[in-house]
Amino acid sequence: MTVVYSLKNVRKERLIDGVGFRLLVPKIQIRAEENIALIGHSGCGKSTLLDMLALILCPDHSDEMNLHPVEGDSYDVARLWERDRQSQLSQIRKQHIGYVLQSGGLLPYLTVRENIELPRRLLNLPEDDSINSISKVLGISRQLDKLPGLLSAGERQRAAFARALSHRPSILIADEPTAALDPITAHKIMAVVMEVIRGLKITLITASHDWAHVYKMELRTLKQEAATVEGGKVYQSTFSD
Amino acid sequence: MSQFNNILRLSFRDYSHEWRMSGCFILALSSVLAPMMILFGLKFGIVTTMIVELVENPSNREIKPIGSGRYDDAWIDKLRNRDDVTFIIPRTRALAATIQLKSKSAKRILSTELLATAPGDPLLGGSDRLPKNNFEVILSYSAANKLKVKPGDEIDASLARQFQGKRERVHLPLEVIGVTGPGVISRSVAFVQLELLLASEQFKDGRAVESLGWQGNAGNSGERVYPSFRLYARSIYDVAGLVTELERDGNRVKANVAEISTVQSIDENLSVIYWIIAFVGAIGFAFSLGASLWANVDRKRKDLSVLRLVGFKSGRIVMFPVLQSCYTAVLGWLLAVLVYLAFEFLINTFLAPRLNLDRTLCFLLAEHFMWALAVTIVIAISAAILGGLRAARIQPSDGLRDL
Repeated sequence: MTVVYSLKNVRKERLIDGVGFRLLVPKIQIRAEENIALIGHSGCGKSTLLDMLALILCPDHSDEMNLHPVEGDSYDVARLWERDRQSQLSQIRKQHIGYVLQSGGLLPYLTVRENIELPRRLLNLPEDDSINSISKVLGISRQLDKLPGLLSAGERQRAAFARALSHRPSILIADEPTAALDPITAHKIMAVVMEVIRGLKITLITASHDWAHVYKMELRTLKQEAATVEGGKVYQSTFSD
Repeated sequence: MSQFNNILRLSFRDYSHEWRMSGCFILALSSVLAPMMILFGLKFGIVTTMIVELVENPSNREIKPIGSGRYDDAWIDKLRNRDDVTFIIPRTRALAATIQLKSKSAKRILSTELLATAPGDPLLGGSDRLPKNNFEVILSYSAANKLKVKPGDEIDASLARQFQGKRERVHLPLEVIGVTGPGVISRSVAFVQLELLLASEQFKDGRAVESLGWQGNAGNSGERVYPSFRLYARSIYDVAGLVTELERDGNRVKANVAEISTVQSIDENLSVIYWIIAFVGAIGFAFSLGASLWANVDRKRKDLSVLRLVGFKSGRIVMFPVLQSCYTAVLGWLLAVLVYLAFEFLINTFLAPRLNLDRTLCFLLAEHFMWALAVTIVIAISAAILGGLRAARIQPSDGLRDL
């Protein structure tokens, strides 16, 4: 299988409420069609790592950060960040990555249909039946003409998944997509999503702090270790294969 | 282009979706702009009209000779050809320039001053036509009032003299072709063509006027010399220079130099005061709008982060607040214009009559509204660019977590 992400010695540091935070990734390789889960407690850097994988957060240091979303396309992401090629990063993200946020991140002034159509519009993809079919699979066909504010939390998350998948990306990144839902709804949604991404051969990288949920979905987990270093001044979190 | 169209669509959808907030921005803008428009309307309506009236009043531009002089045609023509002179015409001796007028509708005979006129006469600037022959006259408002005549009426003009020991009087029918406005000249004056004024002087001097059939001694064949003239500078700003030059050449003249200086000073000072107020207002307006847009970008950082996340480039994100501020500028301007027009109506309908003013107290020209729109858009865009740059600097990862 093709290696979609290859990260080596990636580091990101932040100062959160006066306390230093350091995320380290000695080595991670994610293969095409793999379903990966980042597991850890709140504040361990799951979202930070997802943002770096989604090309929306620049690492402070990296020996290697390659992205190989589809056959024939390969990007040295570390070099693109180094040269501040924001447009190119934006283009790669737009084309190959779908991102689902914990609260959906739907634009409140667009209808559900318009939200789902947005990534396709930006890529100038032709209008076809994909919006209707993905909505049908995710069970939101009847909500397409409503504004997000009128939907339940579960429906909003389904719509967020539909938006992230509408342009058929090769990678789906989801940051605790079901954290705000009750366990039954969360399980139902993830079951449908897993079915869709397996059908579309999409690589899934998700973050969660719910071990049971991850095991149920049969996701590969990355190892996470945490330690306080530099005399207690820095909280350091490490993710590795 | 596609991304621009998308941003155009999205910014408008967001703007209309948040209509309450957008409405507040529009109200905030118009509440700054409308008073400025009313202020300018008042300044333009009262002050400018007053200043223009003072500046344009011919009496402020008149340069009068003191006493009697000797001015020939060449001297008059030389002055007439100057750029700073708008009108000059000879005058005769005051006694020779008096005529008696009688109308059918008034009992009394009116002794009236004769003034020569010609095209370009500032005192008759509003007249449709000027006397073209010796039988046409334009009367001042005062003279017409006393004679109870109107344009189209015929009056009898007569001149009297002592000639060869006898008292003689000649009569001349004159058609009233016009009456000046009440504010043009307060005296009783008959405006005639120069030839009739000179004929009057000739008759009173005992000489014959063949063209009118008036008997007398043979005419003087020498060069004509006039004792006085009626001279108007092009503008009040040319008066002082002309006076200086005429006096330097030995002519004794007088003009309203002190009054002109006062008028100029009022004009300049009021303009300065207005522009200071307008400048301070514009600065306040720019800061108010800029602060609103800045706060708006902060409020929308989550949505803007989502737009970055789905693939909008930062350059396009700048357009989001800029376009929204353009919507605010246009709609705020529109509301300000409506508010202004309402106040203009109220001021001119109810306040002006109470102040016994016969002129419009407050008004603006169409071009003023267009200027206000242009300035509003420029300020709005300038202020929005600050917000836009801030929006463009927001990294997607910064705004997403609070969603």
